[in-house]
Amino acid sequence: MKGLAPLFLGIFGTFAFSWVGLTVLPNWQIGHLNPQSDEEGTDIYPQPQSGMFERGARVYAANGCIYCHSQQVRADYAADDIERGWGNRRSAPRDYIFERPVFLGKMRMGQDIANIGARAPAEQASPALGGGAPPAASPSGGTSPAASSAPQAAAPVAASPAAKQSGSPSPATQAASPAPAGSPATASSPATAAAANATPGGTTTVSSGAQSASPPWPIQTIGEPPMYSAAWHHVHLYSPRSINFDSNMPAYRFLYKKRRIADARSADALKLTGSDAPPEGWEVIPSYDAKCLVAYLMALNQSHPLKEAKSAGGAPPAAGSPAAAPSPAAAGSPAPAK
Amino acid sequence: MNATGIPLKEPSVSAAAGATEQLERAYIDASTRVPVLMFYTSAMAWLILGTLLAGFVSFKLHAPDLLSNISFLTWGRMRPAHMNVMVYGWASMAGIGTAIWLMARLCRTVLRYPLLLVAAAGFWNLGVLLGVCGIVLGDSTGYQWLEFPSYAAIILFVAYTLVGSWAVLMFRYRRGEQIYITQWYLLGAFLWFPWLYAAGQLMLFVVPVQGVLQSAVGWWYANNLLFLWFGAIALGTAYYMIPKVIGRPVYSYHLATIGFWSYALFSSWTGMQRLVDGPFPAWMITASIAAMILTMIPVATVGLNHHMTMQGYFPLMRYSPTLRFTVFGAMSYTVFSVVGLLISLRSVARYVDFTQASIAYSHLGLYAFFTMTIFGAMYYIVPRLIGREWRYASLIKLHFWASAYGIGLMTLMLLAGGFLQGADMENPTLPFSETVETVLPYLRGRSLAGILLTVSHFIFAYHFGLMLLGLGRTSTVPTFLNPVEAEEASGGH
Repeated sequence: MKGLAPLFLGIFGTFAFSWVGLTVLPNWQIGHLNPQSDEEGTDIYPQPQSGMFERGARVYAANGCIYCHSQQVRADYAADDIERGWGNRRSAPRDYIFERPVFLGKMRMGQDIANIGARAPAEQASPALGGGAPPAASPSGGTSPAASSAPQAAAPVAASPAAKQSGSPSPATQAASPAPAGSPATASSPATAAAANATPGGTTTVSSGAQSASPPWPIQTIGEPPMYSAAWHHVHLYSPRSINFDSNMPAYRFLYKKRRIADARSADALKLTGSDAPPEGWEVIPSYDAKCLVAYLMALNQSHPLKEAKSAGGAPPAAGSPAAAPSPAAAGSPAPAK
Repeated sequence: MNATGIPLKEPSVSAAAGATEQLERAYIDASTRVPVLMFYTSAMAWLILGTLLAGFVSFKLHAPDLLSNISFLTWGRMRPAHMNVMVYGWASMAGIGTAIWLMARLCRTVLRYPLLLVAAAGFWNLGVLLGVCGIVLGDSTGYQWLEFPSYAAIILFVAYTLVGSWAVLMFRYRRGEQIYITQWYLLGAFLWFPWLYAAGQLMLFVVPVQGVLQSAVGWWYANNLLFLWFGAIALGTAYYMIPKVIGRPVYSYHLATIGFWSYALFSSWTGMQRLVDGPFPAWMITASIAAMILTMIPVATVGLNHHMTMQGYFPLMRYSPTLRFTVFGAMSYTVFSVVGLLISLRSVARYVDFTQASIAYSHLGLYAFFTMTIFGAMYYIVPRLIGREWRYASLIKLHFWASAYGIGLMTLMLLAGGFLQGADMENPTLPFSETVETVLPYLRGRSLAGILLTVSHFIFAYHFGLMLLGLGRTSTVPTFLNPVEAEEASGGH
């Protein structure tokens, strides 16, 4: 090799080429996206989050959730993420414009949680909307005394929003192990699904109907808190194997405090059963970090339609659940919000 | 570390080299002793720590309740701690140590400004230590491969600046016009790393890019770190060690040139293939897949060049520890690249994306390719710094076989487990927990492989410790793996 100049130039040149090509150019192309809004400038999505969300994201980063959970839904032609019920459309760059750090993830030892917030039961406050068919029978370890009467109690509720087996037991029953998933889920009820869409989130119109249309497999749960509700997340973080005993997720008990009950049991104490339950006179309460983490998870929601990403309609009927006929409301339409 | 107390002995003699040349080499080697041993010793300490963390992480993945109630020891903190200890503690420090020695040898001048390097080693250790403590205490940034909090990253960058400026200074003092191919790779690595690291830090933390581009920058950084930093150092080392040990020039200088430039051009464009089908413009991913395909050009030319150089000399691997490790590393470069290409093709990526297969890929690159090559270099360099030969051939053999079987088993387990996990994931009638069930037996197998690697690292660390204490053999011939029947293996110099 003659001389250093060509060597230096080549070393710089090749790297500059890659740097410009793979970081500067993309930044120029998609690095300055704005939120989407409709003609009147309302219905803005996404919206910046703050407060507990940001702190929750830091807890998420600190404890390495990203090493097992992805937050991206691949398109239906590329993979079966949508069929798995992880979203009703593919993720698009615009979904992430306010996120920092962004947790796309590279590993799925756990489920994709890009839409975990959208899978939450519509709202505990309005039990009628509590989301569809209950999850499958749990191991009979459900200790609630109501367990035996649960199937009957659940039946009328489960029948109406049947199109979506969001896998959350009806909060009305608050009982362990109602009927197996899929079996009572026959009638599709657009009205209820539409109502379910109007989540209290307000700004982000959640089409949780389409969102949660799916898991055709039984999910084991003791069923106490409705699945994917805040209370459920706390129990799941505290004791993953009490919810799904095949789970290999570590428990995050260091985010919780066990303390003696002062005068009354505090409102946010975890409803634990079995060997996880604290001794008599004690309670387990979430730390502020745990609350932030759950607030963060509850806010993960990409179900709002985006122009650039075709919504998949009500996700294709998953095998084993003929009930999932896509209803218009469940197709991810933003209409009900206004 | 008191390296100066170790008696210097003139290194073993090659029949071909004249007396002055030997003397000159001995002086050069002696001048590199303190800084190189400082980097090596630190690297060994990080290797042991990283190995212990790796075992812990691997077991926790299939035994999630193992010590999970202590926040410092939760899986999600131990994993990045392991990764960063290995990448920045072990691999970078061992790579820099090797590069320093090679630079001095190839510039044919005694090492100037050793204090720069001593300070750099100190700062580097401090940076890694702070970074790992930061991660364990819950201060991780959340960007994969860049988890170190900024206070650690700055110290690391200062340390690097010292090394980089030393390299440029050394180059000014070099003798002879000839710039050997190894120096191209080393110079490339020394110049690419700061740009890469600075670009990564700037675009993620100082003036952060928007949304998903953070992930793009992150994977661009990670992949280029793998190729342009670790890969370049390992290839440069292999280009030095193989011809040196067998006493024969590189087969073709033209092939070496083509290999270097195509490597620099194409491998730097990879990275986005790891985001396949993600929320990105398709052209970014396609460009990286195309670049992955084009990296077969450097793979073929470098591989062919090494192969033709070795042609007829493969039996020497029976004797020379350096050759055995280095050739294993050089061959792994091919395997690493081919596996990388296969898992990035869209039709395959559909099944292996989001699975353990990507862990297999990282380990192929960082361990089978880079680490094995560096082990080989250390077997060559350390005796020349200390003036003693490795004490036990049996320990070297054990180290080699435990490492080779360990990484082989680990790769197989992770690849096979990853494919099955991905196939299950692409079958939406199966519950998700089934995909985890599928991969768990393979993760247990991986833990087994990890035990082998742990054994190998402890053996090496023990042997290295003996050398540091001056307990190596006093001999004029290097330690051969097997008794040498004829003088055919005299190329051990």
